[in-house]
Amino acid sequence: MSLPTGADASTVATSGDAAATAAISLRGLRKQFGDVAAVDGVDLDIADGEFFSMLGPSGSGKTTVLRLIAGFETATAGTVWLGGTDVTRAAPFERDVHTVFQDYALFPHMSVLDNVAYGLRVRGIGRKDRRGRAEQALDTVRLGQLGGRRPHQLSGGQRQRVALARAIVLEPRVLLLDEPLGALDLKLREQMQVELKQLQRDLGITFVFVTHDQEEALTLSDRIAVFDAGRIQQLGTPREIYETPGSAYVAGFVGTTNLFDAATSQRLLGVRAEHAVRPERLRITPTSAEPTTADEIRLDAVVVETIYLGTGNRVHLRTDDGLELVALEQYTGSLDSAAHRGDAVTVRFARADVVPLAAAP
Amino acid sequence: MATSTPAADGRTGRTTDPALRAPVARPGSRLLHRLVWLRLGLLLSAPLAWMLLIYVVALAALLITSLWSVDSLSSEIDRTWTLDNFRTLVENQVYRDVTVRTIGVALAVTVIDVAIALPIAFYMAKVASPRLRRMLVVAVLTPLWASYLVKVFAWRVVLSEGGPAEWSGLGSPGYGLTAVVITQAYIWLPYVILPVFAALERVPDSLLEAAGDLGANSGMVLRSVVLPLLVPGILAGGIFAFSLTMGDYITVNIVGGANQMLGNLVFVNAGAANNLPLAAAIAMIPIVVMVVLLAAIRRTGALENL
Repeated sequence: MSLPTGADASTVATSGDAAATAAISLRGLRKQFGDVAAVDGVDLDIADGEFFSMLGPSGSGKTTVLRLIAGFETATAGTVWLGGTDVTRAAPFERDVHTVFQDYALFPHMSVLDNVAYGLRVRGIGRKDRRGRAEQALDTVRLGQLGGRRPHQLSGGQRQRVALARAIVLEPRVLLLDEPLGALDLKLREQMQVELKQLQRDLGITFVFVTHDQEEALTLSDRIAVFDAGRIQQLGTPREIYETPGSAYVAGFVGTTNLFDAATSQRLLGVRAEHAVRPERLRITPTSAEPTTADEIRLDAVVVETIYLGTGNRVHLRTDDGLELVALEQYTGSLDSAAHRGDAVTVRFARADVVPLAAAP
Repeated sequence: MATSTPAADGRTGRTTDPALRAPVARPGSRLLHRLVWLRLGLLLSAPLAWMLLIYVVALAALLITSLWSVDSLSSEIDRTWTLDNFRTLVENQVYRDVTVRTIGVALAVTVIDVAIALPIAFYMAKVASPRLRRMLVVAVLTPLWASYLVKVFAWRVVLSEGGPAEWSGLGSPGYGLTAVVITQAYIWLPYVILPVFAALERVPDSLLEAAGDLGANSGMVLRSVVLPLLVPGILAGGIFAFSLTMGDYITVNIVGGANQMLGNLVFVNAGAANNLPLAAAIAMIPIVVMVVLLAAIRRTGALENL
């Protein structure tokens, strides 16, 4: 289905529920495609003015959740609340949210200005008024000069901004962004990240941002939901997600990590449960240097590979009892002590830096 | 600790299989690579010659023949240049009527086909599942494999007195221009559905979603986004239906009653009446109509999106 279907107005009802306070509330949301549950029971509240990211690999259900919020898909079960109104059965054009599409979805037969003014036009706003507002929106995304061009005459980054302008000209309370930076090269992406963040702060609207790029999610978001298999695996601030991942899945997906299974944890820490430690918490020292302290773990290892990263080295190690580890050495002053392939070294990390993971679901 | 030394890095003492080196080019290939016009000439010479023979020469022959005349006594072709044939076409009421009738039938067929093709193509391209879509494409194409004559005679049966059209309670218009329009609209429909379908398939779903997302209801999405993007496909299909109907003379013979279209006049003059020059002149009419039509469409700028 691609055309919005007419909605039953009687299903749009307001409620005094707790969900009324949030910009977006999802309750028990499910979406089934044939036998496959793309979204398998999602409960979520997104606050007004929040920069909220949905992070996960492709097929994890994050985009489907976004499409359920926008109204492009109809939920199999559960409800979608927007600003205290149940919109589960409402058509996309009845919802006060706007989407920035991954492929931008600019209308090729219209000029940039007409693209931006489209939402105003279908609302019956007069030609002069909508022209003025569209120009203002184009100025906001710093494309004021290009209103007369056609979309195919613009670069990828410019099209991205037109798509943004087309959505923000309608002053929505919520903006949904479906991997908006995915098609841009690295340099442009970093620049657009800064601009998106500034735009969101200046306009004070809620951003729901779908991405598979964990770094993007960490740098931009107020909160992140990590998705897998149609469910939210963990919900928290970037710092919580990164520093205290709730499961092996989250620890592995967000950043690199050293994962200790139950048996290894038992041996190293005396606790029989999964644990993880981030590579940058590992220190590599020459063998049999200073003695170990009670709150430090020491492992003898051999350097398997050293990879130069510019800002430091990523060192792959294998301990004497066969455990594979990754350490991140940052350049602080000099890095003459850099580990070379084949070196025998000692790996140290603080007990406090080892994070227990909840039992995998 | 570096384990590899320059001597061991593989460049020394390693031989490459000669079969993996770049092949030595023959002089001919080298020449072709360098001379772009020669490559293009070789590539296009055969089809160009074919086009020239079939199209340009035949059209020129048609035009030249239409400027000759037939001696009414000996029935021999008189090869002196004359515009008599065209004068006849302009002055004789019959030819004017038949031309107007033919254009009218062609327009009616075009409008009906576009009106039927749009929802079918939309359903195929945007609503149906991929499996159903494949089946529908086959269903649209299948009638093209059946003989034209069989299909027209089938319609003759359907529209006959006491035939299926009357059983169904709809009633039959009887043999006449309406029957011609119905039959022709049926026969050329696949030629309209397919280009419209192809144009629709190229419209990304996200465009329709974006329009809905920005507040347009289904009608507005169709009007402001889908239709403008379909113009090239509709034009292509419409030109097919229009020109194919303009040239038809069989359908009108079978279901058209006593009516005649331009094709009939060409057929009669080229055959029974043995007036090839007049037939050639009549055959110029649809060509001129199509050229005028295409020029008009071109002026609207719609062809630039093709």
